[in-house]
Amino acid sequence: MRTIATVLAIFFIVPFSATGQHIVFKEVAEQVGLKFQHYNGMTGKFYLPEITGSGGALFDFDNDGDLDVFLVQGNVLEPNTQPGNTLFPWRGPQSPRGRLFRNELLSNGSAKLIFTDVTQQSGIVATGYGMGVAVGDINNDGLADLYLTNLGSNQMYLNKGAGKFTDVTKESGTDDPRWSTSASFFDYDRDGWLDLMVLNYADFSVANSPNCYAATTAKDYCTPRVFRAPGNRLFHNKGNGVFEDVTVPAGVSKEFGHGLGIITADFNNDGWIDIYVANDGDQSQLWTNQKNGTFVNDALLAGAAVNRNGQTEAGMGVDAGDFDGNGTDDIFVTHLTDETNTLFVNLGEAVFEDRTREAGLGMPGRRFTGFGTFFFDYDNDGWLDLFVANGAVQLLPELVRQKNPFPLGQPNQLFRNTGKGGFVEIMDQAELQPLEVSRGAALGDVDNDGDTDVLVTNNNGPVRLLLNQVGNQNHWLGMRLVGRSGRDMLGAQVEIVVDEKNSLRRRVRTDGSYLSGNDPRVLVGLGQVSKIKAVRVVWPSGTVEEWKDVGVDRYTTLKEGTARR
Amino acid sequence: MKNFLVMLFLVITPAIYSQSFRRDLVAVRSPDLTNLEESVRNQITELQNSLAATAKNPAQSETALSEAYGKLGQIYHAYSLIPSAHDCYLNASLLAPKDFRWTYLVAKLDQQEGRFEDAIRRYRIARTLRSDYVAVPVNLGNIFLELNRLEEARASFKEALEIDKNNPAAHYGLGQVALSKRSYAEAIQHFDKTLAQVPSANRVHYSLAMAYRGLGDVEKVKTHLTQQGSVGVRVSDPLVDGLQDLIEGVRVHLARGKLAFEARQFDEAAIEFRKAVAAGPNNVAARINLGVTLSQLGDAQGAAEQFEEAIRLEPGRVNAHYNLAILLAGQNSHEKAIAHLQSALAVDPNDMNVGSLLASELVKAGRCREAIELQRRMNLKPSPCRPPE
Repeated sequence: MRTIATVLAIFFIVPFSATGQHIVFKEVAEQVGLKFQHYNGMTGKFYLPEITGSGGALFDFDNDGDLDVFLVQGNVLEPNTQPGNTLFPWRGPQSPRGRLFRNELLSNGSAKLIFTDVTQQSGIVATGYGMGVAVGDINNDGLADLYLTNLGSNQMYLNKGAGKFTDVTKESGTDDPRWSTSASFFDYDRDGWLDLMVLNYADFSVANSPNCYAATTAKDYCTPRVFRAPGNRLFHNKGNGVFEDVTVPAGVSKEFGHGLGIITADFNNDGWIDIYVANDGDQSQLWTNQKNGTFVNDALLAGAAVNRNGQTEAGMGVDAGDFDGNGTDDIFVTHLTDETNTLFVNLGEAVFEDRTREAGLGMPGRRFTGFGTFFFDYDNDGWLDLFVANGAVQLLPELVRQKNPFPLGQPNQLFRNTGKGGFVEIMDQAELQPLEVSRGAALGDVDNDGDTDVLVTNNNGPVRLLLNQVGNQNHWLGMRLVGRSGRDMLGAQVEIVVDEKNSLRRRVRTDGSYLSGNDPRVLVGLGQVSKIKAVRVVWPSGTVEEWKDVGVDRYTTLKEGTARR
Repeated sequence: MKNFLVMLFLVITPAIYSQSFRRDLVAVRSPDLTNLEESVRNQITELQNSLAATAKNPAQSETALSEAYGKLGQIYHAYSLIPSAHDCYLNASLLAPKDFRWTYLVAKLDQQEGRFEDAIRRYRIARTLRSDYVAVPVNLGNIFLELNRLEEARASFKEALEIDKNNPAAHYGLGQVALSKRSYAEAIQHFDKTLAQVPSANRVHYSLAMAYRGLGDVEKVKTHLTQQGSVGVRVSDPLVDGLQDLIEGVRVHLARGKLAFEARQFDEAAIEFRKAVAAGPNNVAARINLGVTLSQLGDAQGAAEQFEEAIRLEPGRVNAHYNLAILLAGQNSHEKAIAHLQSALAVDPNDMNVGSLLASELVKAGRCREAIELQRRMNLKPSPCRPPE
């Protein structure tokens, strides 16, 4: 597959402020009503879950055409502790709980971006020690449902329409009482129903948490390796509101680690969705779909289990995307400080090569501990760029010295794809610089202006909404790909055919990053190209359809079975 | 009073550091020692005082002051107080620019912190000060490799081979350069030479597997992947390695021992845990960890001694009783094992691991009624039991 990007890159424009700084994002969370402070319940005893969460999701729960927000909340960890009596006391009027915010962009008639907290009336009662959120329509009614992961029992919320959700965890059989982190909805058996994979991190309890120390000899957070890895879980959607635990028969119980990040994609281009799991301190797994309901872990042989030196790294967040335009999905995994964030380039048929340093990502990643991450085309030049949300997991001596009360803060990072197989870090981007302890990151066009915005969730800090200021200076193509039932077709592959020689490949997904859910719509940057030849869709069922004359600079819904033959 | 003095010292120390008869010295960022292990805090404070005294004494030479800065930098470095260590080394090197040690160690910290251009510049200076220190060209090679400056990396690793013709770290680096260039056969040659020097460096097998994958030799790929592990190749670096000898207290040795244990490097783990026990003979965790490691190494007697001492120090320590019981059970001393397991279960009646082993030992000892009762209480799977005749 060839790409248009060499042509497009010539037209790339980077705007500058009066001070010479790149202005890519403007942080507007509080200004637009996203008032949310994450609470981790820390008491000074260095419990690992305190610094692990939490995530957030961008999804359109009311199907009004704009992205709403769900934000996961922590809680207290120790029994008999009140949220108001912790190191960073909870000051909210109600107990800490996950919150749902409705985007009023298309409902208030003024096209003004403003969010309203609708948690109370939504029926979502997320008062556990929250970690992550996954989004998918589990009953094919065209309404996005939510799966919330916790330290403790998870929750499946069925979207009933009219802004109401019902807890169907028990009926659906999707609970997992362990410490769950990221989860992913995808249709692994092509039966038309979204299945669910849930990662579990560590066999932690307040009672079994030992004292751990940093190299400085000061008490610090433990690595997950002091706790047993509990194993992950795969649920098969039977289509009747019930999921079946197929972890063992599907083969994914055979190998596991301390699971934190998950991404699903068809890595070997055989038409069946595979699973990549990033583990913290253990080898990553690449579960290759065997097309019969089972999976085999090929990560080591494929060259995607460890880094190029054979070192197991601390995998946190993960994403997949065709950054080099060769028609295959590459993998990017975020890691600890002193480790690189690792780029596994897909050479074809799921044969990977660690090309981190060749891509210019080695050194910049070593400085920070990365969590949420995704490929996205922030400047709409046709090449997938990278966002990385950072925050340390061990006390940073320099911040301790400065008496910082929560000395884990690090800046986030944006990398621009050069179009030549590499990336350059976009520096001096003021909105990325605050030293916060970022964890989750979700992508989506929140203001529907044709460029990708970023939601960042901070541990023990406020949520951030970074509005893109540059992307829509180029042409773009927005698509929502839905099935016959109106469900977002996660896993569908999209090929945007620009002309006889050039095309771009993207896919529909809500998973990836870390503990978070992404916009299922596909937003493709076109640079200066104002007309495309066709859009070719490979649906998860394997059927292929092609649309001609899809308009640019707007969103179009492509429904399965409706392309003119 | 003691606390007041410590606090006062922390406040005034930076000011003293700044008073220097060399204007270009940097003000050393004084680390927060509040939460450090007491013996470590005392160790650092002593050297801080020594530096302060040297700096105040106008009769002291620049060499003496350099040495005082360098020594304090080494202590900071040993405990990963990196910004403070960097400042100290920098001052030491400014005061004694021809002293290889301080320039090298500043470069090392620059490399560690990702300030690669500074590191390159300082390593190059260090090389002029001491041309036989093989870690300099190897470190330079690794930086160039990280920066994807492959030709400079290759030149640096070759320079290392001129100092030490079989240096495994240099061969490994050359292998990585070749692998980056997809010169697979050349990469294999260098990785083979690395393994010939350090057969225990099983991580090299992964690189070999990737090189054979490039050549399409699937069988060799599989062979090497089955041998790959977590032990890498390190260049001999006496200056950095020597920092370990400065470490006092229990915690660092305990942490290092655990890391080595997790990597199944039991000999190394035992060395660290022994150091931890030496630093803190009453530290129960150190003794239990040493015991577990010794039992992995097959030293049952040594392990038992450590567990017994741990129990003497803390009679209610469940995992000391449990680990000792495992040893005793392995020696068919069922009654003794039962006694320890019962002690453990008295502390934590719901510990399933302890309960399972106790039930099994009761069965082996023929104490069937107690075994059945325990199995019922803890929902354990019943097992056949034959009372003694």
